[in-house]
Amino acid sequence: MTPPAINMSSSTTTTTLKNNAAFRMSLGDITPNNVGQLKRLNVVLFPVAYAPSFYKEILEVGEFAKIIYFNDVCVGGVCCRKETVAGSATQNLYIATLGVLAPYRRLGLGSKLLNHILETATEASTTPKVSKIYLHVQFGNEEALEFYKKHGFEVVEKCENYYPQFEVKDAYKLEKVLVASN
Amino acid sequence: MRDLPQKEGNLFKQILKCYELRQYKKGLKGAEQILKKFPEHGETLAMKGLFYSHLDKKEEAYDFVKKGLRYDLKSHVCWHVFGLVYRADKNYEEALKCYSQALRIDKDNFQILRDFANLQMQLRNFEGYVETVHRLVDMQPQNRQFWIGLSLGYHLMGKPDSSLKVLTTYEEAMAEANSKPDYEQSELLLYHNVVLSDMGDHEAALEHLNSIEKIVLDKKAIKEQRAKFYLALGRLEEAETAYRSLIAHNPDNFAYFDGLLKSLGLSADKLSDEDQTKVLDLFKDLKKEYPRSNVAKRLPLRFATGERFSKIADEYLRTMLRKGVPSLFVNIKTLYTDREKEQAIETLMLGYLAHLHKSQGFDNSGAVVEPPTAILWTRYFLAQHYDFKGDSDEALKLINKAIEHTPTLVELYMTKGRILKHAGDYVSAMEAVNEARELDLQDRFINSKCTKYMLRADKVAEAEKTIILFSRADIADPLNDLVEMQAYWFLIESAESHLRQGQTGRALKRFHQIEKMFGDFADDQFDFHAYCPRKMTLRAYVKLLKLEDQLYSHPYYLRAAQSAIRCYVSLFDKPDGDSDEMEGMTESEKKKLRSKQRKAELKAQKDAEENKKKAVAVQDTTKKGKVDEDPEGLKYLKIEDPLAEALKFLRHLEALASDRIETQLLAFEVYFRKNKMLLALKALLKAHKIDASNATLHEQLVRFSLAVRKSEIKPSTKTVIDKHWETLYHGQDLATFTGAFLKQQKDSAVGSVPHLISAAIAASLMDSSKAGKETAEEILFLMAKEEAKFGKSRSVENVQVAIKTLKSFKSARTQELKAQAAAWFPRATAFQV
Ligand SMILES: CC(C)(COP(=O)(O)OP(=O)(O)OC[C@H]1O[C@@H](n2cnc3c(N)ncnc32)[C@H](O)[C@@H]1OP(=O)(O)O)[C@@H](O)C(=O)NCCC(=O)NCCS
Repeated sequence: MTPPAINMSSSTTTTTLKNNAAFRMSLGDITPNNVGQLKRLNVVLFPVAYAPSFYKEILEVGEFAKIIYFNDVCVGGVCCRKETVAGSATQNLYIATLGVLAPYRRLGLGSKLLNHILETATEASTTPKVSKIYLHVQFGNEEALEFYKKHGFEVVEKCENYYPQFEVKDAYKLEKVLVASN
Repeated sequence: MRDLPQKEGNLFKQILKCYELRQYKKGLKGAEQILKKFPEHGETLAMKGLFYSHLDKKEEAYDFVKKGLRYDLKSHVCWHVFGLVYRADKNYEEALKCYSQALRIDKDNFQILRDFANLQMQLRNFEGYVETVHRLVDMQPQNRQFWIGLSLGYHLMGKPDSSLKVLTTYEEAMAEANSKPDYEQSELLLYHNVVLSDMGDHEAALEHLNSIEKIVLDKKAIKEQRAKFYLALGRLEEAETAYRSLIAHNPDNFAYFDGLLKSLGLSADKLSDEDQTKVLDLFKDLKKEYPRSNVAKRLPLRFATGERFSKIADEYLRTMLRKGVPSLFVNIKTLYTDREKEQAIETLMLGYLAHLHKSQGFDNSGAVVEPPTAILWTRYFLAQHYDFKGDSDEALKLINKAIEHTPTLVELYMTKGRILKHAGDYVSAMEAVNEARELDLQDRFINSKCTKYMLRADKVAEAEKTIILFSRADIADPLNDLVEMQAYWFLIESAESHLRQGQTGRALKRFHQIEKMFGDFADDQFDFHAYCPRKMTLRAYVKLLKLEDQLYSHPYYLRAAQSAIRCYVSLFDKPDGDSDEMEGMTESEKKKLRSKQRKAELKAQKDAEENKKKAVAVQDTTKKGKVDEDPEGLKYLKIEDPLAEALKFLRHLEALASDRIETQLLAFEVYFRKNKMLLALKALLKAHKIDASNATLHEQLVRFSLAVRKSEIKPSTKTVIDKHWETLYHGQDLATFTGAFLKQQKDSAVGSVPHLISAAIAASLMDSSKAGKETAEEILFLMAKEEAKFGKSRSVENVQVAIKTLKSFKSARTQELKAQAAAWFPRATAFQV
């Protein structure tokens, strides 16, 4: 059994399935040793093939990249990118990937990942302050759209031809404002 | 000490001191100073040798010690030093001889006696040991360790009563000194109890146990022993209480439950229906009492049968699958010795899979929604189940489904690798396990497994690169570090890979490293002979000695020794370097291959030298340790007498694994080639006794008989051989004998490929004409003709041997069999063209 990464965030929660079978979920750090898990997840969850540089950067963003365990099995993850905003004292956060393996959806795992990002982004110790979090969802990905809406994200833009390499090329841009930018 | 003037005499005392303080260089200088004036002073010469020995100049060491002895044969110092030099080289037999000589001259030398006792223990000369320790006790009766040693010696030579007498005498003497209870005394008393119980007097042992309870610190040992004694004495009620209390302490110890059942009179292998009910009821209660105990849940599966088994298994499996216990199959598979249970488990598991698909539950009651991992673990289990049954296709289907479901789970890829390995596809197996490795780079276990799979696929360079990831960074030759770290699994797997690739030298080098490693294990105990009696860790010490006695029967040693002996035997047969690859080649083909190999060898040698230069350059600056000077193992190929080398490995096997038929079969190969017909006969007889129906034995019997017929044999030898003809050959002539063997194969319901191979070789040996060859071919092809009979016996390995055998006949039908094999084992890389 793969031990859920050594340096694990303390928040392990026990939740109950719709019918009483209990399970544990916990977040884990991404390290050079287990980044392979994240790669494997992204390969099956997203049509985009990420370059090695993507994973190199992931190792640098600290709490803004996480994997999640369901009963000690790694089943999901989130990766963000910090973006400085020219002429501003705040930064933006871009969610590059957030996903949970299909059999493990609708159990609150996605929410746990997203909430972790939201909490970290609003923590006092996070500097510069994060003014907004945003991301892209491909047209037709209703479940993701519902998911983000449920968490207070709003569609702010329709980006045509955002994914030129795919059949469905258009995407929505969603965002959630955390700090009113000045 | 022998007459030296005062000045030199003092100097001599000083160099003795130097030896004790390990100041070898200084000691050497002192010795040389004396020798300048008295070049023929034997004891100084010997000491000079001793210093050389510790300065790693072994040859000089022996030269000087021997020279010293020549000048002073009557000096106990010289003999003692000679013994020390041998001891440093772990040559205990020779050391012992030297010590005896020294003691003959100076029979009461305390120091020599003490060393002598340790050597005797190392060589398991218990009688001698007891005698020596007796003298030590006489000399220093106040010294506890000699009393203890004496008691140990008697105990180990199987005289617990004498051992006990010594202990009692000593304890009585000690009682007056009245030391306060401590660990050492506690251990001594427990050891006393072990000796008592070895005498078989459980009544006395129990009484003793009760009397020492207050003083002994290891309370668990007391409780366990007491429960055992109650049981042995038939005091069942007390035994039951004792075992129940042990279970309360640790409800996950199989032995305690075993004891409890025995105390209830319920331990028979086959339980009556009534008893089975009792056992199962008992466990129902125990499960309630200890809801976290795995053993309480698992053990009933051993005892239940039929419907009741299915019911309990159902509950057990559901719990485990829900929880997600990766080791579930390994734990369950021990039940598969019972075909009925295997079938019951399969039915249950397939039922779960079907329902989980539809309703996320183990059944269609809809009562519980199982976690999404339930179906994953169910498939994982079933994949292993089908692999176990030899159905690689079904196993692969299931494991691939599981991977599709949760592609991040390391265990799935490991199992996929194992399935592919069993199917003979070593490269894909390696790829699967490498995927597992990439998911979790910090897991040393997976890294090692992956290395092993790479070696199985003969990717030695990749394997070396992988294994090094976990070795220390500051070592000049990290691979050699594995030797130092005694990673024998790596050595044996690389050796076998080298063998498959025809790199005999490299393989032999590894086998010798393994041999040395086991030698080191045996040496490791030496220091304990003095340490344990002093520190009173007696129970552990006795266990260590027993373990060491079994050392060379370790499966890894067996594997290494067998392969090494085979290598040397074939080096003897083909001194000009014919490898297996050349089997069946024409002379000119062989020539070509040989020159190719020679070129590769030269290149390797050149590379090695360059590497060495580079490494030496690096070594000087940053890295520690030696650099391998002969990575190709060329020196092993140039050995003059390969059979003598084979014998070295064989000796250990004969000493400690003589009841393994492989040992006898190899012994035959060696002695037969050395023309030691009586020893060869002895090996045949022993093998015959172990398993008269062994396949290889048949072929050896045929070879032996043909040789006896042909060669000039001394009449006395012939008489002995004739005496055993009846046993080995049923008094038949060779044709009848082989005919009967073959007929048996043809008549029996389940065929065996190894036996066909043996029969074919026999046929080809008895008739080297074309007709003989054709008969041999016919015999081998039986495995293809009679599917029902031979299908189950065919394996990737034995079919490979069959093909090799055909090749050795220069048979035109080799390709035909290979094509067949490819159809039987579609995934096996060995048969692909
Ligand atoms: C989007 C995704 C991460 C959600 O993960 P999840 O673990 O299933 O989410 P949660 O269980 O925390 O769901 C939280 C809420 O989101 C909403 N939601 C999630 N999936 C939904 C769906 N398929 N339909 C409608 N609403 C949905 C629900 O309101 C849900 O709450 P509920 O279950 O109590 O009704 C997951 O569906 C996924 O990995 N999709 C593929 C990858 C992807 O598209 N990612 C987004 C682009 S970055």
